Amino acid sequence: MSELLHTQPSTISPTARPVAVAFEHVTKQYGDTVALHDVSIQIPIGQTVALLGPNGAGKSTSINLTLGLLDPTGGSVRTLGLRPREAIATGRVGALLQTSGLPVTARVGELVAFVRRLYPEPLAMQAILARSGLKDLERRPVETLSGGEAQRLRFAMAIAGDPELVFLDEPTVGMDVETRRAFWRDIRAFVAEGRTVLFATHYLDEADDAAERIVVLDHGRVVADGSARSIKARVSDRVVGFTLPTASPEVVAAIKAIPGVSGVDVAGERLAVATKDADAVIEQLFARGLRIRDLEIQGAGLEDAFIALTSSADPAA
Amino acid sequence: MTALTSGSHRLQATVQATAAYLRLEVPRTLRNRRLLMLTVVFPVAFYLLFTRVLTGGVQFGNDERAFVMVSMAAYGAIGATLSAAVRVAMERTSGWTRQLRVTPMPALGYVTTKLVTAYLAAIPAIVLVMLAALTANQVTLPPFTWLSIFVALSLGALPFAALGVAIGYVFDESTAQLVFTISFVGLAVLGGLWAPISTFPEGLATMARMLPSFHFANLGWSALAGGGPDASDALALLAYGLVFVAIVAWRYRVGEQLGR
Repeated sequence: MSELLHTQPSTISPTARPVAVAFEHVTKQYGDTVALHDVSIQIPIGQTVALLGPNGAGKSTSINLTLGLLDPTGGSVRTLGLRPREAIATGRVGALLQTSGLPVTARVGELVAFVRRLYPEPLAMQAILARSGLKDLERRPVETLSGGEAQRLRFAMAIAGDPELVFLDEPTVGMDVETRRAFWRDIRAFVAEGRTVLFATHYLDEADDAAERIVVLDHGRVVADGSARSIKARVSDRVVGFTLPTASPEVVAAIKAIPGVSGVDVAGERLAVATKDADAVIEQLFARGLRIRDLEIQGAGLEDAFIALTSSADPAA
Repeated sequence: MTALTSGSHRLQATVQATAAYLRLEVPRTLRNRRLLMLTVVFPVAFYLLFTRVLTGGVQFGNDERAFVMVSMAAYGAIGATLSAAVRVAMERTSGWTRQLRVTPMPALGYVTTKLVTAYLAAIPAIVLVMLAALTANQVTLPPFTWLSIFVALSLGALPFAALGVAIGYVFDESTAQLVFTISFVGLAVLGGLWAPISTFPEGLATMARMLPSFHFANLGWSALAGGGPDASDALALLAYGLVFVAIVAWRYRVGEQLGR
């Protein structure tokens, strides 16, 4: 039915590979501020993608564009092959927005039941409560929820309609580590059913754990796009860790001066040396007669990769 | 799919979404203590205060008690409907309306629900002041007069529901609170709900007769007097109602474009 109504060249034809989200040369400006600059991304159906970047990188702007809450200044955005607002109207999309207000004096169960009724084929009430961990909170007025519980309620509203495409804008913001882990278990279980998920986060471990693909945004540009492994591989840093009880400032300075060392982190007697060539650094440490113990060599975490990627992309930094 | 069936499909979706939203909003609004004070406690308390305590040493007769009943029922209905301004502005500021925009609910469903909920809040205010008149103040009126006062006041409250939603759509949360208070108190006092317009100086009285609150209460006073409704009151309220609905429709369109 709707294919006939679309004349835009970017509309996905039925024979093409189905695409959940398509950005083509998207630019978004607020006055003089450029929030997104010529961004092109395609997210195929069924993929779990993390949008990763510091505050102000353009993550929320991207999500709001795919939901039709914003219109692009230039380029085109298609959601499930449709104009974003049309896609929302079909009831095939769910979204958890960053810090969206909840209507006070409504109870958790009432709110979830209401959102369910807006969708043509929603999940069963009990399934929504179970998946979002709200089973015991059904009777609670929303204004008495903790920050983490409120996020669970927002997640419940996002999944209530049994959507094929889900947007989660910083879903675990304001949660402690334990709650975050439990919450991500629930999100992963939901995602495992072949849904397409785009989530924004500045928690790097979340992107690494939950997403099969990571798009790194910085200052409104895509600075990296690939699997977590491929993004880490772009930065060859290794971290050499060891214990050195006699690490005086002079010794630390000497280690910093070893060729190929990009940084030294001291935590009590424990030192962490970042370098591109771990072997050469260890050789030098022994050559200087330092009595190092508990030697460890690790690949850099995503966080290190991330810092390297974003700082290299920004000439001003 | 033809434009016609697509149009009727959209209408059906709007009606269904509005029904679902009303099911959430009505019980939720009944639990709102602030609104309960505004719509029930204050009008009834002021009614009893004005007719039994602050009477200037005069014993109020049946006519005065019935007259003030209409005034205070109108006062409560205006407060109840206008207070939608604060709730709408709060929901726009907090981002709840954004959350609704990422569901399939048509934005018109939100506006309709807010108008209906704002309007429904007026009914308990009217009923309870009338009940206080009947029980505590032993006001006696012919049954048809009771009924026509209720009908006049409950229909006359309609434009104020639109004004409340309009204020909530035009102003942000902190300003809307102030605009609500000023327009509520201003409309009540200047419309002659606290002291009859006959006690006003001439210039003020002329202005007061143009206010929607005066026309609203006058519908009730005319019903109390036993005559039919004054056509000028009905027309004035209709005109005000259309202006307020136009403001809501305009802000709704602006909101559509800005995505909030």
